[in-house]
Amino acid sequence: MKGDSPKLICFSCKFGWGYLDTDIYKSQLKDIIPVTCSGTIDATHIMDAFKNGADGVLVLGCSDKACHFQTGNDQTRKRILMLRKILQEFGIDPLRLQFMFNVDPEGKQIPAVIEKTKQLLKNLGPLRPAL
Amino acid sequence: MWKTVNKVESLVEPAIVQYLPPCQKKCPINEDIQRTNVLLSLLPEDPKEAREGLIQIGDYLFDNNPLFPICGYVCGICELECNYTTKGGAIRRRLLKRFVSDHYLDYLDSKKEFDIVKNREKVAVIGGGPGGLMCAFHLSKRGYKVTLFEATNRLGGALWLIPHYRLPKLVLQRVIENIVRIAGIEIQYNAKIGEGKWSLEKLRKAGYKSIFLAKGTPAPRMLLFGLQIVENQDLEGVFYGQTFLYEISRGILVKDYLGGKKVIVIGGGNVAFDVARSARRLGGDVTVVALECEDKKSKDGIPADHEEIQGAWEEGIKIVYSRGVSKILGKNGQFEGIVSPKCTRVFNEQGRFYPEFDLNDTVTFHGDILIITIGQIPDMDFLKKEGLLNERHQLAVDPLTLQSANKDWVFIGGDVRRIGYMVDAMREGQEAAESIDRYLRGLDLKKGRKKEYIATDLPQLKDAFFKSEPDVTWLPPEKRLHFQMFEKGFTLPEAIEEAKRCLCCGPCTSCRACVSVGLQEDLPKVIVHETICSGCGICVSACHYGAAQLKQIGQHLISSTDVLKCKACGMCLSACPAGARELTGQDLKKRILEICASA
Repeated sequence: MKGDSPKLICFSCKFGWGYLDTDIYKSQLKDIIPVTCSGTIDATHIMDAFKNGADGVLVLGCSDKACHFQTGNDQTRKRILMLRKILQEFGIDPLRLQFMFNVDPEGKQIPAVIEKTKQLLKNLGPLRPAL
Repeated sequence: MWKTVNKVESLVEPAIVQYLPPCQKKCPINEDIQRTNVLLSLLPEDPKEAREGLIQIGDYLFDNNPLFPICGYVCGICELECNYTTKGGAIRRRLLKRFVSDHYLDYLDSKKEFDIVKNREKVAVIGGGPGGLMCAFHLSKRGYKVTLFEATNRLGGALWLIPHYRLPKLVLQRVIENIVRIAGIEIQYNAKIGEGKWSLEKLRKAGYKSIFLAKGTPAPRMLLFGLQIVENQDLEGVFYGQTFLYEISRGILVKDYLGGKKVIVIGGGNVAFDVARSARRLGGDVTVVALECEDKKSKDGIPADHEEIQGAWEEGIKIVYSRGVSKILGKNGQFEGIVSPKCTRVFNEQGRFYPEFDLNDTVTFHGDILIITIGQIPDMDFLKKEGLLNERHQLAVDPLTLQSANKDWVFIGGDVRRIGYMVDAMREGQEAAESIDRYLRGLDLKKGRKKEYIATDLPQLKDAFFKSEPDVTWLPPEKRLHFQMFEKGFTLPEAIEEAKRCLCCGPCTSCRACVSVGLQEDLPKVIVHETICSGCGICVSACHYGAAQLKQIGQHLISSTDVLKCKACGMCLSACPAGARELTGQDLKKRILEICASA
């Protein structure tokens, strides 16, 4: 966390979020990582983010049964719920790993969702307080 | 002396094998069905913005298949092979296409003509049905000066015989008018080739370098019993189905024409059901007598579509299965009834049409009108006169190139060659256009033409995943006994929902919908780092599409990806415990580091 703004890594599924207005990724939201399917996001990616200084991770996937690749979102949901338990063991608040499964072709909700998650992270404080 | 003959047939061709979704494999013109479905599923919910998208989808379809708005009403054979059929009902692709069609037609009227320089040879297309139109369209697009010779005063051929409750007249008219206008095809109406001043040779002398003959099947098939023609087919009150439908399309037979009359329809095909349902709409009390049995799955099962049979039954049409006609009864020149023996077998062991009857089990059906709808035949006299038959009195034509064996500048296709669905004729038109193009450019007619497609399997998913098909809305039977459409089309949300149900079983290379909407820059690929892979096989169980496979290299098992089946979803990447798999163009680790390092 630098200053007041928490560092958030956001993965978003290309088939569910903001595909109608791809500019939203390019202009407004620089810190967003579009992926082919949320099912491609691995536990190591999320851990990498935390390891490299992120205060939180947000995964945007498709709503139930709407995955273009059939069950990618289900796999991610399972993975995230399990990973939250492991994060706790490491002393990381499980709430730092957030997900939202919905479909938003125009990507209008994305800035608000990110803002909301950042607010939550702000309340939790930085993951690694400055020494 | 031993020597090889370098005939075209003896040359080795490169294998052309491709995976396709089963619907696309089934479609004779291999239309990009999956692509359309994916594009529809990505449409915006706002109707105004969606309209733009629909026009683009329509334009893409029109380019290859200008008759697609008609297919959306009458075809749907792709649905027969859909992988979803056993899991809750096929994707309603026909209705999805009709949905595109309904939004595209208004735009089609204002679509600009193709910008083509017509500097190639003159080609004549004979017959204005779906085969002829398709051929003329594709040749025209390639720059040939095409003249289409139509025997009547309207284009469309047998498409006019489809009752208007299935295909609205206005849709048919508009689509055809626009094809002719947009592709710039010249039409000669009332030009019946084979009569008067017109013959193939004369056309050739008039400068037409090649001819596509798609005259269809203008003559009805006579009713036979054994090998004898059943007598009394000339009685008052006996019609042939084709003539009956033709007269309805011309507006000769109008409402209540058959009011209060008992009508018997002979035949079990879709045309017989078109006739029966049309006769019902003209006020008749209709009974269908079919040679085939009720069980569609049996070898002798009725060929008509389930929907047709169900629709007819709902409308109060009686259907008698497994009965033939041995005698037509008449009195004072007026039709009175038929004597109908039990049919014990329709096809013989070789699968040829060879019906057998039990003459001890006969019944007599009485009626006022008999409509015989057991098929059509081409104008054999014309084909003989033009010298297009072989010594066995069959059409001498190559089934792959459609080139006549007797006259190499003549190509023959459509119903005249083999009776089929509308789209079968369209395919032959398309193939003929390719053949004629190659012929006139002096290229090999056969090279690379024979393609082998393999249908992809159903993705491996749990049964609970599948969704059942949406209901099709038909007007209730008592309200649909007219010639207006009775089937309700999809609304935008319904269409998006149904398109999303598509499992997209096919490979990405034959779809590329995501790239065309800018969702992805290019199709990603999965790479396996063989030095890291331990061969555990977890990726195999993670992949729904059977693309991740294990192969043996020396003593080790190594995972690999079948590029033809892979969809690059990345599910195997996250499943791989060793991190041996990578998706091209998506380096997540690098991106994470970049973002973490940025301010």
